[in-house]
Amino acid sequence: MELERVNEYEWRVPIGTVAGMRVPGIVFGTEELIQRAVEDRAIQQVANVATLPGIVGASYAMPDIHWGYGFPIGGVAATDADGDGVISPGGVGFDIACGVRLVRTDLTWEAEVRPRIGELVSALGNATPRGTGAGGRLHLSRTDLLRVLRDGVGFLLDRGIGSPRDAEYCEDGGVLEDALPDEVSERALTRGAGQLGSLGAGNHFLEVQVVDAILEPQAANVMGLFEGQVCVMIHCGSRGLGHQVCTDYVATMDRLMGPLGIEVPDRQLACAPLTNEAARRYVGAMNAAANFARANRHVLANGVRACFEAVLERSARDLGVALVYDVAHNLAKLEEHEVDGRHRRLCVHRKGATRAFGPGHPSLPDAYRAIGQPVLIPGSMGTASFVLVGTAEAEYKAFASTCHGAGRVMSRTQARKRIGGHELARQLEAEGITLAPGSPKLLAEEAPFAYKDVDEVVRSCEGAGLARTVAKLRPVGVVKG
Amino acid sequence: MIRIPSAGGFAFLEHTADVGIRAWGPSISDAFEQAGVGLATLMGATAEPSGRTEPVHVEGIDLEGLLVAFLNELIYLFEIADGEGLASLKVTRLEPTSLDADVQLAPMDTSGEGLLVKAATYHQLEVSERPDGTAEARVYLDV
Repeated sequence: MELERVNEYEWRVPIGTVAGMRVPGIVFGTEELIQRAVEDRAIQQVANVATLPGIVGASYAMPDIHWGYGFPIGGVAATDADGDGVISPGGVGFDIACGVRLVRTDLTWEAEVRPRIGELVSALGNATPRGTGAGGRLHLSRTDLLRVLRDGVGFLLDRGIGSPRDAEYCEDGGVLEDALPDEVSERALTRGAGQLGSLGAGNHFLEVQVVDAILEPQAANVMGLFEGQVCVMIHCGSRGLGHQVCTDYVATMDRLMGPLGIEVPDRQLACAPLTNEAARRYVGAMNAAANFARANRHVLANGVRACFEAVLERSARDLGVALVYDVAHNLAKLEEHEVDGRHRRLCVHRKGATRAFGPGHPSLPDAYRAIGQPVLIPGSMGTASFVLVGTAEAEYKAFASTCHGAGRVMSRTQARKRIGGHELARQLEAEGITLAPGSPKLLAEEAPFAYKDVDEVVRSCEGAGLARTVAKLRPVGVVKG
Repeated sequence: MIRIPSAGGFAFLEHTADVGIRAWGPSISDAFEQAGVGLATLMGATAEPSGRTEPVHVEGIDLEGLLVAFLNELIYLFEIADGEGLASLKVTRLEPTSLDADVQLAPMDTSGEGLLVKAATYHQLEVSERPDGTAEARVYLDV
């Protein structure tokens, strides 16, 4: 696989790398990160995505790129919404609107939380349903579930769960208005009904973190972040409901491609023109699942608030518990971008990539308009996480997108072979990280060394101009999904 | 223990972020059964042979599509079956674009250490029949 180096952090996959490429591929990252991506065949997937009908600009990949199915994880592809552009459910992924929420407090680690961390992590572990088959904190009637799909966080606020500020500081104000709950299948509803307010499994987590370093004091100040402060980061998605929506529509589009005469190099890239009825239905169902994902993180965060109140015996207001931001990293959105000096309506797929609007963007909460959109980067379990902000430059580089996490480099089996769960738990505890009880086997599969170095990923994004680093956080308490 | 079909077998395939199953047997139906048992094993959703039997019917445009639809049906059943896992399974009818199976579900015998599988994917999906009639399937799962 021949890559052309554009600059220190940018590489081009030329047209012709695979047959049928309509645009080149552009991958961001240091030479070492790119080398890894070539080895695990993710670059081939960047080239495959470049064959999608109506793709605009380039098939992009972020520095945390790794081998996915169909799209690479870390992939960004924009298609022409006013022309022959397609939407691909696989380009969003099974965990629709999987994302990250950061909750701040006024508490300092050393003086206020450290002496109570054992009790706090225990309370958070008990309040956070997780793992396979876990029921959520809320069990919804069919009518209420449909309202969550339509109204997102708003439904919960109507029920007195959370504060209005929680919607304002969520991407899209906590709700995608053009959701079509009727296009979500009966099976997806059945899977979702008992799962609102649950973490799921795999790399999902809820962590108590401490702000370790502030790199952009002004932006940090606007977000209410300071060194030594205790925050909580939640990483999870739309659970079985989202998985089923994707399953349903990948199958629908797989059947449609033959009759529509669309050919793709990998069947998991199944897609349909945005003007097609199946695409319209998928977009509505995807938006509904995204509303479920936001509501899911909202319910979990509300549980966090209650735990802090109970353990520290002070009110959430007094503790300064407040949402910093909530952002998705698996989603396709209709956005306007300038391409070759012309405003165009595009369907931007981000599969393991985060939207990162620069300063001044109208969709940002008023308070953040001057600094740009907060981007929340969860490290792998037990390693640093980051808060970034979007840049004006990223708008012209990758349709205002940046990385979403560390990205795996090692399979689950390999990770288990290298370390036992009990040994890893001892290591993490020795590093001062308190763990909520869980399966040692699944812990080992998420060992930090199974992931890329998140520092290098973030440094690459900064170097490529895709985002600026505001704060670095380290974990002190882990509730693993 | 789950009743493992006597003919054929399965193995897990390494993938950086996800995991695959290679399944084989004397016929395509056998290979599909092995893939189903492999999936349940991976998910820790296995049970002693007993309990209720759920008839399953799926459709697809080809054999590969049928395998994905079949495994996604099992994933759905395991997720909504509260504490129940796969006890045994039998493909009762296999046509080029449709499949029927009897899926027996019973209370799980595992420790909850299974992987949460989100879905079966079409990525590098393959179902092949050899000239002697034996069959092999490969499928990747999103975990």
